Amino acid sequence: MDPFSTPYMQRALLAVVLLAIAGGLFGAWIALRRLAFFTHAVGTATFPGLVIAGPAGIAAPVAALGAALVYTAGLARLLRDGRLGADAATGLLLVAALAIGSILAGDVFEAGAGVDRLLFGTLLGLSETDLWLAGAVAALAVACTALAGRTWLATGFDPGGARALGVRSGLGDWLLLAMLALAVVAALPAVGALLVSTLLVVPSATARLLASSMRGLLGGGVALALGEGIGGLWLADAVNLPPGPAIAVLGGAVFGVVALARAAA
Amino acid sequence: MTLIDVSGLVTGYGNGSPALSGVTFALGEGQALAVLGPNGGGKTTLLRVLLGELPVLAGSCRVAGRPAYVAQSGRARLDFPVSALDVVLMGAYARTPAWRRLRRAERTRAHAMLERVGMDAQAGQRFGALSGGQRQRVLIARALLQDAPLLLLDEPFTGVDRTSEAGLLAILDELRAEGRGLLVSTHDIEHARRWDLVLCVNGAQVAFGPPADALTAHALHATYGEEMVSIDGETVAVHSHGCG
Amino acid sequence: MLELLDSELLRRALAEVVLLGVVCGPLGVWILHLRHTYAAESLAHAMLPGLVLASLAGAPLVLGAAGGIIAAALLIALAARDRRIGSELAVAVTVGALFGLGVALALAPDTPAKLSELLFGDPLGASYGDLAVAAGLGLVVLVALGAGGRALRVTAFDAASARSLGVSPGRTSGALLVLLGVAIVASVQGLGNLLVLALLVAPAAAALRASDRLAVQLRLAALLGALAGVGGMELSYVADVAAGPAVALVACAFAVLASLWPGRRDGVVRRGPIEGLAGGR
Repeated sequence: MDPFSTPYMQRALLAVVLLAIAGGLFGAWIALRRLAFFTHAVGTATFPGLVIAGPAGIAAPVAALGAALVYTAGLARLLRDGRLGADAATGLLLVAALAIGSILAGDVFEAGAGVDRLLFGTLLGLSETDLWLAGAVAALAVACTALAGRTWLATGFDPGGARALGVRSGLGDWLLLAMLALAVVAALPAVGALLVSTLLVVPSATARLLASSMRGLLGGGVALALGEGIGGLWLADAVNLPPGPAIAVLGGAVFGVVALARAAA
Repeated sequence: MTLIDVSGLVTGYGNGSPALSGVTFALGEGQALAVLGPNGGGKTTLLRVLLGELPVLAGSCRVAGRPAYVAQSGRARLDFPVSALDVVLMGAYARTPAWRRLRRAERTRAHAMLERVGMDAQAGQRFGALSGGQRQRVLIARALLQDAPLLLLDEPFTGVDRTSEAGLLAILDELRAEGRGLLVSTHDIEHARRWDLVLCVNGAQVAFGPPADALTAHALHATYGEEMVSIDGETVAVHSHGCG
Repeated sequence: MLELLDSELLRRALAEVVLLGVVCGPLGVWILHLRHTYAAESLAHAMLPGLVLASLAGAPLVLGAAGGIIAAALLIALAARDRRIGSELAVAVTVGALFGLGVALALAPDTPAKLSELLFGDPLGASYGDLAVAAGLGLVVLVALGAGGRALRVTAFDAASARSLGVSPGRTSGALLVLLGVAIVASVQGLGNLLVLALLVAPAAAALRASDRLAVQLRLAALLGALAGVGGMELSYVADVAAGPAVALVACAFAVLASLWPGRRDGVVRRGPIEGLAGGR
C-alpha cells in the first residue's frame, strides 16, 4: 500500500519538499561559512519556547523564534568580551536551553510523548500554518540565493576584502543569520528541535563532498535533501518513528557511503 | 663538539611538496648562526625539523641533545593564566619526572635566570600582560633554565624595541662566549653580519658560510628577490610585516 | 537543605551529583583552555546509540556509555580527517547521524527505552553500584589531571615550544580527550548525555572568569561544580522538578552570572557576527 496516499503523509511530504529546498539552499552557506554547530545550537535553543507556547497561548513558531532570538542575543553578549570561546559560549547556552526546556516540560507535559514531538518532529501533527511557513522559507531561500548569494559568498572567502565593502557585508551577515533562524523555526514541526541539521546541514555537507562549483553545491544540496527527506519520511512511516531520526539515519548513511567512496577512489 | 650536522635535508608537512630542501650545514659549540629568509621561506620550518617536529623526508639531520627553543612570543596564548616565573619554570619540566614536585633549587635558579635577563622584578606578573620585548626576555630566561648546549631562536628581535634589542644581543653574545651554540632566524642582515655563520633559505638553501662569503649581493637577491632595496650601496632586506 | 539527607535515595543522588561536579569542574577548566568544548559536546551527543543499546539489553549503562563513546570517538576522528569539508562540518554530520540513530533505536521498538532519562539524566535512579563506578572513574580523572598538570599547562600555553620542553602536545590533547570520555561515561547516569556538558563547561567558565591564576581556577571549578550539585538537588526538591536538569541549570546560572560581572577587557578584536559565531576556525 502506498504510504503517501494518506492525507497526513501528503501533508508531511509537501512540508519536507519545501523544507528540503530551503535546507539545500541555505545549507550551502552553512557549510561554507562554518555555521553547522551554530545552526544545531539555534535549533536546540528553540526547545523551551516550544514547550511554553501552548500554555502561554502563543503560536509555536513565534515562541520558537523568540527563543532563538533570546539565544542569539545571549550568545552575542557572552562573546562580546572574548573571554569565552565561541564553542564554549554556544555549548553553554545550548545546554542551559535544554535544561530550561526540560524543566518546563516536566510541568507542562504529563507523558514523554509530547516532548518527543518537540524534540524529534512529527508525521501526524503538521498543521496548515506549518506548511505555509515551510513554503515561505523555501521562497525566501530562492530569493536570497538569487540576490544575496554573491555577498555571502564573498564574505565567506575573503572577510578582509569584504570588510572593505563596509556596512554592506555586515548587513549581509545579519541577513544570513536571520534567514537561518527562520529556516530552523520552519523545520521544527517536521524534524524537531534536536535534529534540524538533518535537513539544513547534512545534505549540503554531502553535496560539498561531491560538488566543485557553487551551482553544484546548491543543486546537489537540494537534490540530496529532497531524496533524504522523502526517503526518510517513508522510513519513518514504515518503522513508526518520528521523521527527524529517520531522516538523520538516512542522511548519515548517504554521507558515510559518499565519504567512503571518495576515500577509496 | 658539533651540535648540529645537517646534510641534504629535505622536509615538509607531509602533504605533497617539500617545504624546505637541499639544506646542508653544521654548527659547533660557541658558534652563532643566523638564518635569513623571507616570510614563508622556511626559517621556522628549519627550526621545527631541528626540534624533531617535522619528518626528515631525505638527507640527514643530527642534533645533539634536546635544544632549547625560543618561539616567537606572539605564538603563546597570552590569555593563559601563567606568571613570568611559571613560564621560566617550564624550562625545568624536561628534567623533572612528572610525579616529583619542582625542587626549590629550580625556583632559585629560575629567579636567577630572570635576573640575568633583567626581568626578576616582574616575576609574579602575568605573562600576557608584559610587553613584547619583556615576553621575549622571559622566553629566553626559560631557555636558559633548560641549560641546553644548543638554543634555537625564532625571530627573537621581531616586535622588540631598540633598548631591549641591545640587551638581547648582549645576552646572545654571553651565551656564545659560554660555549653554547645559537641558531637564530632573523630578518636583520646587520645582526647576521656580526655572527659566525649565515644560512640563507628560500624554500631551499641558497647560501651558507661566514657572513663575508654568504652575504653576497647575488645570494641576498636569490633569497629575498623582490624584497631587496639598495640604500647608499648597502643592501637592505625590506620585509613586509605580513597581513596573512 | 538538610531534607536532602533524609532518605537514602536523596543522599545517594546528592553524593552522585556532587562527585560529578568535583570531577568535571577541573577537567572543564582544561577543556576550555585547550579549546576542546566542541569535542566534548560532540562525544556526549554521539554516544547515544551505545546508551540505548545497553538500556534495551538491560546491560549496565556504564558499559553502553563506554562502548558508545569509543565508537563515537573513532567515527568522529575519521570524519574530522576529511580535507574537503573541514572538520567542524564533518563532525557535525557524524554527531547528528549517530544521535539520530540513537533516538531511532530508542523509539522504534515496541517497548521503547526510557529516552528522556538517557538524555536528561536520572540521579535519583543511581544505585550504590553506579555511585561506586562514578567515584572510581572520577578518581582516575582527578589523579590523571594532577599527574598531567605540567604537560597540560605547556600544551595550552605554548604548544609550539612543547617538544623542546619535553612535552608532546598531540599526546597530551589525546589524553585529555580520553579523560573527557571517562568523565562523560561517569556522568551519564546523573546528568544524561545531553546535560553532562553543563558540568563540564559551566563551573569552569565561571572559574576562568573569576580568577587569573590557574591553581585557583582549578579549585574554584571543583567547588562550583559541587555547589551546582547541591544547589541543583535543592532546587529539584523544593520546586519539584527533574534533578538532572536542575543541576545543569544551576551550573549554567553560575557561568552566566560570572560573565555578567564587570571584569577586565583584554583588548578584543572586533569581528563580524559570523566570524565571531563560527569561532574563527
